[in-house]
Amino acid sequence: MPRFGIAIDATKCIGCHSCRVACQNQNGLEFTETFNWIKDKERGKYPSYDKEYVPLQCNHCGNAPCERVCPTGATYTTPEGVVLVNKKTCVGCKYCMEACPYKMRIILHKAGIVVKCRLCIEMVREGGTPACVTTCPTQVRIFGDLDDPNSEISRFIAESGAEPLRKDLGTLPHIYYKRS
Amino acid sequence: MPESAWGWLIVVYLFLAGSGSGAFLAAVYCDLLAPDWSKSLARAGSLVSGPLVTIGTICLVLDLEAGLWEPWRQIYLAKNLSSMIAWGVIILSGFIPVALLYAAALNEITFVGKIARKYIRIIEYVGSALAVATATYTGVLIAVVNGVPFWNTPVMPVLFLASAISTGLAAAMIVAAIIDASTIKTLSNFALGHVIFLAIEALVLMLLVFMSLTRSTEAAISANMLISGVLSPYFWVLVVLLGILIPFILSIVEYYEYGEMPKSLVIGSDLLVLMGGMSLRALIIFSASPPQII
Repeated sequence: MPRFGIAIDATKCIGCHSCRVACQNQNGLEFTETFNWIKDKERGKYPSYDKEYVPLQCNHCGNAPCERVCPTGATYTTPEGVVLVNKKTCVGCKYCMEACPYKMRIILHKAGIVVKCRLCIEMVREGGTPACVTTCPTQVRIFGDLDDPNSEISRFIAESGAEPLRKDLGTLPHIYYKRS
Repeated sequence: MPESAWGWLIVVYLFLAGSGSGAFLAAVYCDLLAPDWSKSLARAGSLVSGPLVTIGTICLVLDLEAGLWEPWRQIYLAKNLSSMIAWGVIILSGFIPVALLYAAALNEITFVGKIARKYIRIIEYVGSALAVATATYTGVLIAVVNGVPFWNTPVMPVLFLASAISTGLAAAMIVAAIIDASTIKTLSNFALGHVIFLAIEALVLMLLVFMSLTRSTEAAISANMLISGVLSPYFWVLVVLLGILIPFILSIVEYYEYGEMPKSLVIGSDLLVLMGGMSLRALIIFSASPPQII
């Protein structure tokens, strides 16, 4: 069984939000709802000033705080290491939203349930790649199997020294970042 | 990215569940240790405890979304025992019936109360354990959240338990003064309870703030929000001054004056304790600050 993840080369991100639009399209979300964000961070001081864009989405943690606090067991991890929410058993208590250190979950008030990035699991199981990965014009994201040392993603992580966000939290994320 | 998922309904729930279980403990304490001269307080405590926790639990259910419109989803609520909400559901389903039964037993309401009266000691011991569990669990609920570093500390349940006991005692004393006007003198004995638990609450709160200032950047952001930031007027006035300091001084006076203090001041001081307990929970929830991830 593969263990899916995404490596993000933040140095290539131009902040165009194509990933956000593709994700909304793929998941039938309104323009105010999204499973991925781009946050910018200013670095340095004028005149040597720089702005870094960091695409953010659910980290599909190997040790997911959201799964641990979910009272109904609606949040679960698939054998491929993808964290999903069962629409039928979520009660909308929002405990997972508080527990997620990355704050990557949203509540859909119409449906009354909490939703998040699903790593486009149905496309991935048919051999495809998530919408945010294919749509990116500067090819920031690399999708693949983290357990296969010869996969593009594993080689990228090994070469670039990409690391998860806030590794110190012990959440074992499946999303890796290369930042300058 | 959503900043905070919980709002006023959760704040009200945390407060009512705390004060309800505190009122139960106050009632049991009176009935066990001083049954002859504090009957009104024991009766008042037992009468408010169940309803307070029940109203709080209703707030908790109202905060659900899909689980509110499709209530059958709530049967899953105790499925994952690594979740504090699942434990809360179990504790509350035990405590609410016991608290209501205790009210019936102590006041001999209906035949149920008369039968339960015979087993009152068992109800008191089991109920006290459940009351402590309820008050503590409301603190553990937010203390296990690693998405908010300020909450993520073992001091939190201790603070919630101390605050639950002082607000519960306050609720019981207000109702005792209403149902039995002549009891105001005996209430002075219990002012000592306020002195003790408000002092503990103040110490634990101080510990929480000081520890948070150095524990992590994000916990310090929350703590600074309380002591010098946007929430500081509410923190210093509603929680520290009106919620702890003034009732603390009034309770010392009440204890030494022994029944000579005007009724309005006695009830006023208890109302301030309740307001302080509510404000404390609101400020802890609203000062949540997530980890800095980039």
